Amino acid sequence: MSDTTAGPVKTQAQSEGFTKALRLWMTAGPGLFWIILFLLIPSGVMLGIAFFTNSDFGSPVLPLSLSSFWEVLGNGILGWSDANIITLIRSLVQAGVATSVTILLAYPLVFFIITRPANMRPVLLLFAILPSWTNQVVRTYAWMQLLNPGAPLAHLAQYLGIIPEHFGLMPGNFAVLIGLTYNYLPYMVVPLYAAAEKLDWTLVEAGRDLYASGPRLFLNTVFPQTLPGLLSGIILVGIPAFGDYVVPQLLGGDKAMMMGSLIAGQFTFSPNWPYGAALTIIMLVFTCVGLLTFRKLTQRLGGGEGAML
Amino acid sequence: MSGNIPRAIQRALLSVSLPVYVLLYAPLSIIAIFSFAPTLHHPGPNVAAYGLMFHDPQVMAALRRSITLALCSAALGTLLGTLMGFGLSRFRPAKGGGLWVGTLPSLIIYLPIIMPSLVFGISEMIFFNYVNQYTGLLSAGLLTMGIAHVTFQSPYVALVVYARLAGLDPNLFEASHDLYANALKSFWYLIVPVVRPALIGGFLLAITLSIDDFTISFFTAGPGSVTLPLYIYGAIARKGSSPEINAIGTLMIATVVGVALLYYVVTRQRERKLNIPTVA
Repeated sequence: MSDTTAGPVKTQAQSEGFTKALRLWMTAGPGLFWIILFLLIPSGVMLGIAFFTNSDFGSPVLPLSLSSFWEVLGNGILGWSDANIITLIRSLVQAGVATSVTILLAYPLVFFIITRPANMRPVLLLFAILPSWTNQVVRTYAWMQLLNPGAPLAHLAQYLGIIPEHFGLMPGNFAVLIGLTYNYLPYMVVPLYAAAEKLDWTLVEAGRDLYASGPRLFLNTVFPQTLPGLLSGIILVGIPAFGDYVVPQLLGGDKAMMMGSLIAGQFTFSPNWPYGAALTIIMLVFTCVGLLTFRKLTQRLGGGEGAML
Repeated sequence: MSGNIPRAIQRALLSVSLPVYVLLYAPLSIIAIFSFAPTLHHPGPNVAAYGLMFHDPQVMAALRRSITLALCSAALGTLLGTLMGFGLSRFRPAKGGGLWVGTLPSLIIYLPIIMPSLVFGISEMIFFNYVNQYTGLLSAGLLTMGIAHVTFQSPYVALVVYARLAGLDPNLFEASHDLYANALKSFWYLIVPVVRPALIGGFLLAITLSIDDFTISFFTAGPGSVTLPLYIYGAIARKGSSPEINAIGTLMIATVVGVALLYYVVTRQRERKLNIPTVA
């Protein structure tokens, strides 16, 4: 194609593209600007604060420095401490274990639902996700009542010798794990259900015709088809569980501190904004690494595109 | 389909799923049961906690604030979200589109959804704090909470509306254009009727998101804007559990269940009327 014919066509396409972009920003614009003004800019400001020096009142002042990152690594006035690193590892482990438990619970639940008659499935799914629509504080408070030293569950654990007498199942890591699992289970169920509903059962039958046994049949025919849903579920559960604030705050106590409580503390009771902002950057780095890893995996598997805008 | 699965496996699925459903509802039921628990002055199951709750001016003020916040933020969130969902489904090519049309709007819309709510809340707290310090505007209160709520509601509404419009035949727009409808008219006579279920769904979703939120509210609230979740959190921290908190919790659970069932019934009826196969 010569330049003389390509030229006008290109400009026409370009101007059409420009009109569309203009219309896009005229309709979607107010919402997008709202998010830019009230979230993008504020989070930029917050992250920037990490590079300032801490004042006596906990607010950021000049000069710019990396001292708060030094503090994140555990270097305080009292010398080096491993507390921050332990908190980070604990958050990662808790999020990882909670995600694994939700997977173990969600698979049977989802396959139970999709093997019901079609008119019952929406109701069963609704009942599985309904508790997640109540307030997180209420949900976590409910577990406080079930796990405290005076509650029947704690009595049972005392009777079985799992915990000493007069002790409860909270506060502690175990209670946090239960709280996280309970709070985020529906976020595993929904994407897994979406994947399982589209399952191609002819593949399962083909596998059965080839005399595949139960577990192998599942691993080779069902599991690969639900993998995109599983990966979305891992993102939806793992990331918020890692940064959760309410659950470790109410069920955790000092020995079960997670990143969320550590960060929040720097902005509330004992303010040190630059330090808190530096901790946030560390948390976001881990969040982004997790997010990008699982997104890459999902894209490689060629699934999960439907749900994306 | 279910015939494909051996009976033994079906039974195994049921034996795991049933306890999961129990696990999901046991904590919520405990709150409801404990709200009727006997106390020192009221032996035996009673509704004294509810009386206490309805006569507690602090609780009633918190309830009023929660309702105001949920309704106002949901209204604005639905408006902005619908416009975003409409704009993105209508004026964006299916693939690519470059930075200004493709990448940037997606990134911005997903930001509130992906961002951990703690980071979300603290960022806004700092931002409002600085704005207030330099201009005197936006002091922490219901207004700043509302702004934050709209920020996380609108992307979800946009997703709901987008999903609804994505399946729409683009020829319909050409047809409305051929019938001399301008952009406003085709929006009113074509888009609005089509997205109405999504609009209602999005609005109800926005309300539940607002009632459900704690972390972002916690950091954007001021001393005079204690909403119900904040009140409960403070009460737990001060004096642990009490029948009154259980009564408030029960009320909040009942509200959400009510809204969810309403949403379910509304969408089901519409889908039946329009003869569209049920998705959810």
